[in-house]
Amino acid sequence: MIPGRLTKELARICGRDHVIVDRDRLLVYESDALTAYRHRPGAVVLPRTTEEVRRTVQAVVRHGLPIVPRGAGTGLSGGAVALNGAVVIGTARMNRILAIDAPNRRAVLQPGVINAELSAAAAVHGLYYAPDPSSQTACTIGGNVAENSGGPHCLKYGVTSRYVTGLTVVLADGSVVKVGGHGREAPGYDLVGLFVGSEGCFGIATEIEVGLLPVPEGVRTLLGIFDRIEDSGRAVSDIISAGLLPAAMEIIDGPTIRAVEDSVFAAGYPTDAEAALVIEFDGLEAGLDHEAERATRFCFRAGAREVRSARDEEERLALWKGRKKAFGAMGRIAPDLLVQDATVPRTTLPAILKGISEIGNRYNLIVANVFHAGDGNLHPNILFDRRDLDELERVEHASKEIMQLCVDAGGTITGEHGVGLDKKHHMPLIYGPDELDTMWGIRRVFDPGAVMNPGKVLPEETEPSPANPRREPAPGELVGAPAPA
Amino acid sequence: MNKEALTPESTAETREIVLAAREAGSRLLPAGRRTWPRAGGWTRDGGTPVSTSQLDTVHHYEPADLTLTAGAGIGLDRLARIVGPNRQWLPFDAPGSSAGTLGAAVASGTSGPLRTRYGATRDNVLGLEVVTGDGRTLRIGGRVVKNVAGYDLVRLFTGSRGSLGIITRVSVRLFPIPEADETLLFSGGPAEAVSMARTVCTSEVPVAAAELVEGEEVGADRAMVLAVRLLGGPREVEESRRRICAALGTDPWRALHDGESRRFHAARIGWEEGASVVARLAALPDRIDAALAAARACATRANGAQGSAAITADALQGLVRVRASLPDSDSTRLAETLATARRETEALGGSLTLSHAPPEVAARVGWTGSGPETAALTDRIKALFDPDSVLAPRCP
Ligand SMILES: Cc1cc2nc3c(=O)[nH]c(=O)nc-3n(C[C@H](O)[C@H](O)[C@H](O)COP(=O)(O)OP(=O)(O)OC[C@H]3O[C@@H](n4cnc5c(N)ncnc54)[C@H](O)[C@@H]3O)c2cc1C
Ligand SMILES: Cc1cc2nc3c(=O)[nH]c(=O)nc-3n(C[C@H](O)[C@H](O)[C@H](O)COP(=O)(O)OP(=O)(O)OC[C@H]3O[C@@H](n4cnc5c(N)ncnc54)[C@H](O)[C@@H]3O)c2cc1C
Repeated sequence: MIPGRLTKELARICGRDHVIVDRDRLLVYESDALTAYRHRPGAVVLPRTTEEVRRTVQAVVRHGLPIVPRGAGTGLSGGAVALNGAVVIGTARMNRILAIDAPNRRAVLQPGVINAELSAAAAVHGLYYAPDPSSQTACTIGGNVAENSGGPHCLKYGVTSRYVTGLTVVLADGSVVKVGGHGREAPGYDLVGLFVGSEGCFGIATEIEVGLLPVPEGVRTLLGIFDRIEDSGRAVSDIISAGLLPAAMEIIDGPTIRAVEDSVFAAGYPTDAEAALVIEFDGLEAGLDHEAERATRFCFRAGAREVRSARDEEERLALWKGRKKAFGAMGRIAPDLLVQDATVPRTTLPAILKGISEIGNRYNLIVANVFHAGDGNLHPNILFDRRDLDELERVEHASKEIMQLCVDAGGTITGEHGVGLDKKHHMPLIYGPDELDTMWGIRRVFDPGAVMNPGKVLPEETEPSPANPRREPAPGELVGAPAPA
Repeated sequence: MNKEALTPESTAETREIVLAAREAGSRLLPAGRRTWPRAGGWTRDGGTPVSTSQLDTVHHYEPADLTLTAGAGIGLDRLARIVGPNRQWLPFDAPGSSAGTLGAAVASGTSGPLRTRYGATRDNVLGLEVVTGDGRTLRIGGRVVKNVAGYDLVRLFTGSRGSLGIITRVSVRLFPIPEADETLLFSGGPAEAVSMARTVCTSEVPVAAAELVEGEEVGADRAMVLAVRLLGGPREVEESRRRICAALGTDPWRALHDGESRRFHAARIGWEEGASVVARLAALPDRIDAALAAARACATRANGAQGSAAITADALQGLVRVRASLPDSDSTRLAETLATARRETEALGGSLTLSHAPPEVAARVGWTGSGPETAALTDRIKALFDPDSVLAPRCP
């Protein structure tokens, strides 16, 4: 609960209906899509303009409370969870597309615009917004900016940061800062690039300028069916090394296929297969068939038993269905799901997939993999029931081992879901004390008082304090991160 | 400016140099091969250059991963020779020379015409090792193509021009060299060329680059030439050519294939070489005509003063460059024209920055216009990494 005086003040700024302090109504804001972490916010405020956000921030800070920005709450790392009674500033009402500038292929929008709605609005101009998280019908562009989200088609087109060209940001001190902007070669540091992926810890993005792309004229979609998951990993590696650049390459493993086929989302994938590989090419019609034929040959050479291809949009959606509905289907076979998000060098995929399956067997757990294979971005999902304490403990061990396996292969702990609350204690696996210390420093550049989304991204125990100040490197000392850059 | 450079042979040695300078209160200037010594104003007189040219080892190259990690001092030309046999390349085409170093390309952070197709420099840097101004060795990012662990310090360092740290190691993403590489040259009058560029830039054909070049530079008898680069599979490129020609209602004046096309663009990278003044005018692509007019006024003034000047434009990105070489006595007159051009571009919502300028011109015009109001943030960032200002100054 927040002080009554603050509630009144917020109501004056945003309107009574847009300040939520009611216990029941706060329930939905207790977690994001990673429901393992639940904390009730002190209040939820839903401003509509940059100015309302600015005044809200000032009011909350004056009362000494922390702030958590929130989009649609589809995050998978606990990023939008409000710790210590923080006030959530939600962007649900900041959902207007301010401009679509077709000749310059850009759009300016408020942060609460849903990802898929931007593409839908741009479609009349023959344009679309390229980054396409699998949650795109629900997640907001503001959340995408904060997480630097990816998606299946980021293999060819790149992730969110490539498309964000300008931002208006409200900082913790109530200042409004504009960074970047299309058509400018802004001198100075790339503050837009630095803000993207800052997980709500630097400030609240209240206006976002993005680049759009022309909708590709043609698409070819393939589905390779494999008896061994390593073979599907090899097909991915072979296709990339041959110089082909598919728009997307996604793998769905045996346990996931069976979960999907057992559910209402059944997509017609063979249930005795150990992997299905969705491959998509897009671009001008000319040449697409040739590329699809080449990819098909690589699949067979790697051991595919069958390669299907879509002849029309309906068939295309059918081939994608197993991939798109994987998370939903898994939710039906186990009460709890731990979604991991490590990225590994593509060539290590076959070995890593084998390693993950061994770890799962050793701990007697179901690990289902569905992931962005072309980028080496894995999502091993551990299915479990948290009421079973023994199982819960095995999940924790297995999860840590999988993470270590990926890091040892030259990978990283998160490819797109962000660190948030969930992975902050894994940060020391990839960064040493100096890197973490510097990240604390950068956070303070934007937010000296640690008001914005405290308790996320960086492990507390690495926080420099008066007792444990910023470390000074000793002469002759050469420490860096454990893994070479 | 021509002070003897220090050339550390390891990251540890680089760090010793920084710590010693910090201790002594002296100044350093991070550098590669020093082909762009004034670095758009991010420099100062005095200070010992520290060149990473000896840090040129390839630490990791796995062709099938399309990633490479090398010392910052590796030349872009050598890197191209290493990855070329696997039909791979690093499509960095910022102005400069192919002798420039990888670390400097990252530190400069500028991108060339291939940006629309492959992303900017910053989109293809995966990880860095840097020695900061306070003598820390940081390893940031990684060598995988997708990574959101922690705040994005890699992007902060990309384009920081030696003001935050010395980059010692770089991991980048490589791309397959497209099977077909074709450049179509269409010639026309100034207005006609802009209108052709507009048609190409808003068409559905995925062109890799579209540049406007003065006709006489490429031996055409019309005033301007639009160079449209097509990259991809042979069928895709052939179809793209057919559609571009149909959209423009004409065949190209010339078409360059593969080796010819690559050589044409390689030569364009060195377009600024030898010029005493180079200005970059950035505007939204649909205002490129106005930016071109402002640039043309500068060029005319320089030409009138017994100098020589040229303009070129990247139509996809709305970026116009003016290159001028003229007797020193006339540079102050050119400065007035540049100041006018800046006002005109800023009125369009764009900007004008100088990449090269003699000190007296830079002093009159200013390397950059009034930037966005982020000075407070920028100062704090600088202080975090280089509290004693041992390294290059931040953005002028
Ligand atoms: C089924 C499913 C599939 C998914 N697939 C993908 C995928 O393919 N790729 C992928 O990358 N992710 C995926 N995700 C994760 C998630 O959808 C993304 O991280 C998304 O970007 C979160 O957006 P959101 O609006 O829900 O943000 P939230 O969850 O509300 O917030 C996420 C973070 O952003 C911050 N934030 C939100 N808005 C702002 C703002 N305006 N300014 C500053 N900070 C802000 C919050 O503080 C929080 O730290 C998936 C999630 C689900 C449930
Ligand atoms: C004629 C010409 C015109 C150019 N025009 C532009 C332009 O308009 N915009 C632009 O961005 N670039 C420009 N460049 C630079 C070019 O894009 C490359 O960055 C350059 O060629 C790199 O060469 P170098 O190794 O000699 O770098 P240098 O000239 O040695 O250094 C260039 C810049 O990078 C910094 N730097 C170099 N190495 C490091 C390092 N290891 N760590 C930290 N900082 C480092 C330097 O401090 C300096 O700011 C131009 C170069 C030339 C020759």
